[in-house]
Amino acid sequence: MRISIEWLKEYIDIEMTAEELADALSMSGTAVDRVHTLGGGISGVVVADVREVKPHPNADTLSIVVVDDGETVREIVCGAPNVRAGMKYPFAREGARLPAVSSKPLKKAKIRGVESAGMLLSAAELGISEDHTGILELAGDAEVGADVHQALPLEDIVLELEITPNRPDCMSVVGVAREVSALTGAPLRLPSVELDESGPPVDTLARVILEDPQGCPRYTARAVMGVKTGPSPAWMQRRLTAAGLRPISNVVDVTNYVLLELGQPLHAFDLDLLAERTIIVRRAARGEPMRTLDGVDRQLDEATLVITDPSGPVAVAGIIGGEDSEVTESSANILIESAHFDPTSILLTSKRLGIRTEASARFERGVDPGGTAFAAARAARLMNELAGGQVASGEIDAYPEEIKPRTLELRPSRANKVLGTDLGAGEMAGILQSLGARVEAGEALTVTVPTFRPDLEREIDLVEEVARINGFDRIPETVPQGGGLAAGLTPQQRLEKKMLAGLTAQGLSQAVTYSFMNPADLDLLGLADDDKRRRVVTLLNPLAETGEGMRTTLLPGMLRVAGGNINRGSKDLALFEAGRAFISQGEEVLPVEIDTVALLLAGDLHPQHWSGRQTACDFFDLKGIVENLADVLGITVLEFGRASEEFLVPMSAAVLSAGNEYAGYIGQLHPRVASAFDLEGDIYCGELLAAPLLAAANESVYSPVGRFPNVKVDVAAVVDEAADAIEVERVIRRSGGDTLKSVRLFDVYRGPQVAQGKKSLAYALEFGSASGTLTDEQAHRRLDAVIASLQKELGASIRGREREGEAR
Amino acid sequence: MDENSMNEIEQLTQERPELAALARESLDAIEAAGTPAELEETRVRLLGKKGSIAAVFKGLGSLPPEEKRTLGQIGNALRTLAESELTARAARLKDAETKERLLREATDVTLPGRRLPQGHDHLLARVIDDVTDIFVSLGYKVVAGPEVELDFYNFEALNTPPHHPARSLQDTLYVRRSDPVSDDPKDILLRTHTSPVQVRVMESERPPLYVISPGKAYRKDEIDATHSPVFHQVEGFAVSEDITMGDLKGTLEVFARKLFGEERAVRFRPHFFPFTEPSAEVDVSCFVCAGGGCSLCKGVGWLEIMGCGMIDPAVFSHVGYDPEKYTGFAFGGGVERIAMLKYGVDDMRVFFENDMRFLRQF
Ligand SMILES: [Zn+2]
Repeated sequence: MRISIEWLKEYIDIEMTAEELADALSMSGTAVDRVHTLGGGISGVVVADVREVKPHPNADTLSIVVVDDGETVREIVCGAPNVRAGMKYPFAREGARLPAVSSKPLKKAKIRGVESAGMLLSAAELGISEDHTGILELAGDAEVGADVHQALPLEDIVLELEITPNRPDCMSVVGVAREVSALTGAPLRLPSVELDESGPPVDTLARVILEDPQGCPRYTARAVMGVKTGPSPAWMQRRLTAAGLRPISNVVDVTNYVLLELGQPLHAFDLDLLAERTIIVRRAARGEPMRTLDGVDRQLDEATLVITDPSGPVAVAGIIGGEDSEVTESSANILIESAHFDPTSILLTSKRLGIRTEASARFERGVDPGGTAFAAARAARLMNELAGGQVASGEIDAYPEEIKPRTLELRPSRANKVLGTDLGAGEMAGILQSLGARVEAGEALTVTVPTFRPDLEREIDLVEEVARINGFDRIPETVPQGGGLAAGLTPQQRLEKKMLAGLTAQGLSQAVTYSFMNPADLDLLGLADDDKRRRVVTLLNPLAETGEGMRTTLLPGMLRVAGGNINRGSKDLALFEAGRAFISQGEEVLPVEIDTVALLLAGDLHPQHWSGRQTACDFFDLKGIVENLADVLGITVLEFGRASEEFLVPMSAAVLSAGNEYAGYIGQLHPRVASAFDLEGDIYCGELLAAPLLAAANESVYSPVGRFPNVKVDVAAVVDEAADAIEVERVIRRSGGDTLKSVRLFDVYRGPQVAQGKKSLAYALEFGSASGTLTDEQAHRRLDAVIASLQKELGASIRGREREGEAR
Repeated sequence: MDENSMNEIEQLTQERPELAALARESLDAIEAAGTPAELEETRVRLLGKKGSIAAVFKGLGSLPPEEKRTLGQIGNALRTLAESELTARAARLKDAETKERLLREATDVTLPGRRLPQGHDHLLARVIDDVTDIFVSLGYKVVAGPEVELDFYNFEALNTPPHHPARSLQDTLYVRRSDPVSDDPKDILLRTHTSPVQVRVMESERPPLYVISPGKAYRKDEIDATHSPVFHQVEGFAVSEDITMGDLKGTLEVFARKLFGEERAVRFRPHFFPFTEPSAEVDVSCFVCAGGGCSLCKGVGWLEIMGCGMIDPAVFSHVGYDPEKYTGFAFGGGVERIAMLKYGVDDMRVFFENDMRFLRQF
């Protein structure tokens, strides 16, 4: 909503500067998005009369115009589509100053071979609006040759307001003036509706039949007979253009002017084009045809409220008029419609037809049902003033059931409790009265709310008005005590933080991707038809560019992040994403949301350093990261088995389980999948499920450390190639007893020193005791037991048995 | 040099000039040894079994007692002197050697160090952490909610009217159902804000409540520099028997100054949200111009950071709280917006492109 301060001052005295006013409005809930200064610095522009319009010899879209600027008559070139002979326009002479166009004075120009000295101006070129679709028509009574400042006040400041949806009343100049009045205490001056009703009684001229009082609770009409259409005066044109509307003719401009002034949308019908001069308000029949003012032929439906005459629809109620009864230059008798329509009905119809107009924008939020008669009278007065004719006496007011002002109670104690203030009942009453409410004092205030405030329905709405006008800045600031024992992170949340910190500490950077997925990605991964991750939540109205489903796995997103980075030259990648995967449980219930951590390694994990060589990352880098993570979380039951994920290299993939629960997978991306995602080189990836990992986490436990160094011994077991290392380690741990403190595999050997089909696994064992010295002898007895178990349980042969220095 | 030994020797050898000479030669030999090996040779030459000092003691037994005693004294003094000089010389040689070795091994301290790989938090995660930490310090707990949500929690219980534009297919992403009903509380959608968590927590717990809830939210926005169909919000709310709008103001002022700097001013502008009343938008004074007006704040001097308000009694009614007994406030802000303001990021897309050159900066 654009509000001209010059116009606003017609209804209220304003002592503040425009900036102060903008600030006061912003701080009371009517946000001022921008402040436009219009028409400053203009000189050398006069009112000119166009004598003749001729075609340009070299260009179809241009014309040669004969212009009389009061001093000389000359020919200039003009590109405006609306230039007409006999009309008056602002004319910039050579040397004119037009700040909205250029910082330099206007020069003579040669346009397509024709010399042109001076130009006719649009409202945009004058800097009074953004409308540059045509030149600005001036009123017929403007004096040719007079400075344009005399014909219309150019200098003004326009506030661009953001009106919240609960405040339809502020979508008008008078509504904003009322807010200013409440804020400053200056009295509001309503515009004059005094009429000279010299015409015949209106009910002898027209008839209104209200068939749908739900959709149209009130329909007020007035008639003005014998008007003469023409351009509206400059002052009205300027106010309309400043508000962003385009002047059309005095009759139509009056309806738009009153819409902006009072917020009541009006419609002007050519009374002679209305069959039987009768208006019928009803729902349309299914498929009923109508050509609207925008030139579109439409098929209406039963939900659409229409204004009709006995021969058919003449307007879509509250939204747009029809071509058939449109006011034209030859219209003489005008019927002014000032109605109240049901907001929801207008909202739905406007949505269905895809039309939004100044009128529908107001009706859908709720226009004052008590204000239709005032607006009709105001329009009749202005029309009479600007276009002559006679105002019919009386009004038609179809209003079967009066919408009464609402009465609410406001307990001052309640307001102070919600706000944390200490305002008196009198202060509150004063604020509400300044907004147009009637207030009766008592234990609680009894507040009769004006009908132009449909948003004031409950006590809390009044509390807000009190807070808003009194000023939010006057509410004292306090800090509440907080949740005490309930405050802070839960142990699970602390672990979650630890887990993510454990990944960044190991060199992985965090990515955040969209939660969407194209289900076709699952085909690229090669997932089986019955894979759980095929249960995709699909969207009804997805965005074209993001895929139509919610991700069931974070992998495709991670692969795309990797691809993007590799294409941009970052080939060494260590990434993770912590986010949710969504598995559908059927279309009527919410999906399961699984907190997942995706991992990805590519290229080198350690950047190349001058002191040594770089190494490409592999499966064991990724596994090591997960093992460290388990360590950070205190997970002792994390196991790696062979995974059978279709998108991983079969023999380089592991499935994770924590405490016997599935906890994710890690492995090397299958080259087939890599190329499907346009990735080159080896990619290692995985997904971890947060819930089973966090459930398996343990608090760290203290166990006393012996005063003497541990005894370290190495043992190498030769086992079948097919045996898993974890089996060997389990046997060692089980047979090693309490004093076995650590087991570390330090070498895997295949070669001439062991038999074909065998491998040697060398372990460093540490024995120790917290309670006293563990002798070499005791340690070696334990080692003997370990060796015996390896031989017996795994058929291992022992390749070496060495003792290392005790105090390494 | 051991002065006492030398004086003693000079006294004793007044009668035996050849032994005085031996003392001087011994000292010169020790001083002349340039390496530990040479010093060891010198030691053997002086003190070894066949050494020149050992020779003094030889044939001592055949001398008369008087002479024997004198010569014995001289021999002992010579040995003591030689030993102490050898030790001192050895130490000096070792020092010299260490010094020379360290010089040889000099490090170019300007070469880059060997670093363990270092990962980086995503900027959005960092902002969420910062915001969460502040509220945890103010006594809040952290609760998460589902991202795929029922209309009931996202709109209905938050007092959103049936035909509100936010509920339209143009604004909100809906989950496909075979029999969709528009504005149905049973519709399933991608939550458009983190506010549904408010309703879910109030439904299952009783006041007092102090809750913060960061997470993803979704809107049907085409991707450009200032729009993203996926974004992050931080929701917070407090409900108790005596929560006031003053508490809301005080809390958010503390928050804004902790996050953006203590010198920031904070202001509350009345606004409209369906689920709070009174409602406000929260501005902080511009970090760049501190209120004077610049391009970051578009000349206003203030930067909008979040929306807030007193929880609407209608929301309490939906969860079965008595609005006469309880009052509460709620607030919510966009994480991307906070990150963009605080770090000067001018394009929302960078958050989701995950370019390593971006990720490494934080
Ligand atoms: Zn600024």
